Amino acid sequence: MASKQPDHEHREDEDAPAAEDEDTGAQVVPIVKLEEVAVSTGEENEDPILDLKSKLYRFDKDGSQWKERGAGTVKLLKHKETGKVRLVMRQSKTLKICANHLVLPSMTVQEHAGNDKSCLWHASDFADGELKDELFCIRFASVEHCKTFMEMFQEVAESQKPKEENKDASAAAGLLEKLSVEEKKTEDKAGEEKPAAAKEENETKKDEEKADTEKKDGESDSST
Amino acid sequence: MALPNQQTVDYPSFKLVIVGDGGTGKTTFVKRHLTGEFEKKYEPTIGVEVHPLDFFTNCGKIRFYCWDTAGQEKFGGLRDGYYIHGQCAIIMFDVTARLTYKNVPTWHRDLCRVCENIPIVLCGNKVDVKNRQVKAKQVTFHRKKNLQYYEISAKSNYNFEKPFLYLARKLAGDANLHFVESPALAPPEVHIDLAAQQQHEAELAAAASQPLPDDDDDAFE
Repeated sequence: MASKQPDHEHREDEDAPAAEDEDTGAQVVPIVKLEEVAVSTGEENEDPILDLKSKLYRFDKDGSQWKERGAGTVKLLKHKETGKVRLVMRQSKTLKICANHLVLPSMTVQEHAGNDKSCLWHASDFADGELKDELFCIRFASVEHCKTFMEMFQEVAESQKPKEENKDASAAAGLLEKLSVEEKKTEDKAGEEKPAAAKEENETKKDEEKADTEKKDGESDSST
Repeated sequence: MALPNQQTVDYPSFKLVIVGDGGTGKTTFVKRHLTGEFEKKYEPTIGVEVHPLDFFTNCGKIRFYCWDTAGQEKFGGLRDGYYIHGQCAIIMFDVTARLTYKNVPTWHRDLCRVCENIPIVLCGNKVDVKNRQVKAKQVTFHRKKNLQYYEISAKSNYNFEKPFLYLARKLAGDANLHFVESPALAPPEVHIDLAAQQQHEAELAAAASQPLPDDDDDAFE
């Protein structure tokens, strides 16, 4: 138990991160033995066509108010074979899923009336592994990011409209796609397509570092 | 340790006891992890509320059964039943209320009477508030009693994952355990008819004028 106080930062700052990763805890006997397992993001067959930091809200219809759902990275992911696009958002740090739904031609995205960095839409969301009707609102750090998101979202929704003349053909193609998705999934479990996951991890780390820097910046402000 | 009426799971689960004075943010912290929301309203917890909280790690999925206890009961003390079979714990205090830190030793003593040698994290919550009453340097209890300490903010999410990560590492005896992206399953196809679509649009129009809860905060990129 070395007491490594952050001497290098001798300032009045009360919030000085007291050697964050120092373990001052008692030695305890582990009660489970866990083995490393193969990890799958479920996104291995998709390409991100958009990737932005944001904060997501869901509308609580009973209380008629917006409630926070999570803060992290929102992505639009295009499937490599089917061309289908879904929106996936994960909470930073815990990497849990806050939103997971297809972008469909019936969807429209609109600006939030009181906040020009925010926009909203309706979706059947699958974040918890069951479909739930949700009204989502997302807030970005800048008006530009919000615009980018809205344009991309709307463009994708348009592009997903089936061509009237070959409806049957596309339905059949859909079935075929599903089959190939199933096959692909099993392949993924074998541990292929690692690069994508590795990249994600790097990005998460970067985000964490950034967040830590922000915290420190914030502290120096408050100490003055 | 699930409650009798709670479904058990086929992956490792742990009973996590969360104690500390009333109003320190135990329920808000748990809720933040459960739904993402940040509840400003204070409604004291009565007795205990048990919430399962799952995390995905490089060693698979794990679950904490969070026993979110009533801080207001400190005068009578919590019944042993809340602590019994506790496998890990969080003691929470509020850095903006000195008394809540002063009461930490009492919570620690009560906890350790029932739960011996379990990993414990001391959390100083509300570090986002400018006028702290308990400065980081004044927090020394964890060193005396060999607890892990984290400064956290349920409001800003600062360090909000750290207590769980620390406990998971200790319970598994694996310092390299870390959270990983949970698999984003393919959402099933849905077909929305015109009537439903119109209803959604009406709902959207109404929701578009409702303010966002933390409009002023731009603490993310």
